Amino acid sequence: MAELPSILGLPEEERAVCGQLGIETVGVDDADATTLAERAARRALAEAGISAEELGALLVVEQRAPRTLLSSEATLLQARLGATHALTFTVGGLGCVSVTPALLTARGLLAADPELGPVLVAHGSKPVSEHRYRHPVTVNGDGGQALLLGRRGNLTIVDQVQETDGRYWDLFHVDYRGRHPSRWREECTDQPAYSFRLAVETRNRLRALLDRLLRRNGLTRADVSGFVSQNLSAGGLTFTEEALDLTLLPECRENLRALGHLGPNDVFLNLASALEAGRLTDGDHAVLINVSPVAAWSLLLVRTGPGRDGHRPSPQNHQETTA
Amino acid sequence: MNEITEQVTEFLTLALRRPVAPDDDYFALGLADSLFALELVTFVEERYAVTVEVEDLDLDSFRTAARIARFVRAKQGHPAGLGAGDDASA
Repeated sequence: MAELPSILGLPEEERAVCGQLGIETVGVDDADATTLAERAARRALAEAGISAEELGALLVVEQRAPRTLLSSEATLLQARLGATHALTFTVGGLGCVSVTPALLTARGLLAADPELGPVLVAHGSKPVSEHRYRHPVTVNGDGGQALLLGRRGNLTIVDQVQETDGRYWDLFHVDYRGRHPSRWREECTDQPAYSFRLAVETRNRLRALLDRLLRRNGLTRADVSGFVSQNLSAGGLTFTEEALDLTLLPECRENLRALGHLGPNDVFLNLASALEAGRLTDGDHAVLINVSPVAAWSLLLVRTGPGRDGHRPSPQNHQETTA
Repeated sequence: MNEITEQVTEFLTLALRRPVAPDDDYFALGLADSLFALELVTFVEERYAVTVEVEDLDLDSFRTAARIARFVRAKQGHPAGLGAGDDASA
């Protein structure tokens, strides 16, 4: 990561902060975001033994930047996959948290139409420009992910809660109009607001959301076998742990170190890694914590193992990342 | 300097690992990050038995030790947050 030209070119102060994020390598792929999503989608479908024509819906989690305006990356992915019959659109507007409204939408579609085929949620994570560092937050990597949701599977999304605060809508942005792409950067427009107000609001929001999520599902913290968060920085993971007085599964720090930040893909990547490592067994509950400086907060409660409720979406996850 | 200002100044000096005066704006000095903010607010809540709500998150209330002391006294119900040794013009 330290060898990337855009990191080498950082001012000394920013390079020092970047060096303390806990990120050693990031995925770098020549493919564009839609291709990253497409690769993951193909593998998810192949592993599930489902053809793209059987999909009832294709939900694309919004990319950071489309290659052209007016065109549709969502229907491009539909065409490439051959998802001819899939209701196709993009869900987004909430940065990393955008995966949550996509899952809410999938759940609504599956509940509303008993005949609807499986729903594929896909996202290609790729930074807007060659500048991968977002001061003082994270380094963005490249990666694609696809979640295949149906009425039964080996992981159940039990419940989800989400809140937003529009006062932060422009806290981070890329000012691109009239600028050469080489000058496109993810910039924080108000660093004290990010480091103080949003941080403390995040603590308060996440505490309240976690209490609400567990209470309405008749659970306590002792019933949750694992917590995962998105991968921004080592300090960010510690912040979440201290704010909520919990310990995140170690796969969060491992994926952060190896892959950097993959936007909306982080939480299910971490969950998949934890499952592969055998940290959760059938029937265990896990909570996926996602925060975006837009600002948005979401918590997903999932249960591993075959689903008990036929109406709750059960995703199969597939991640494609080139490190 | 009143007792709360003194205690907060002491906390800030320890947390930031450098001397901090009661009216030093450590945000303007670029010393604050989100982990520090979390530690600071947790210290204020636990030490003074107050709760910092989302609507309390005006950065101006937390920029300096003296301002934090006034915020604490206001949360504790003291008029205008003033206490012995506070400077109302700060």
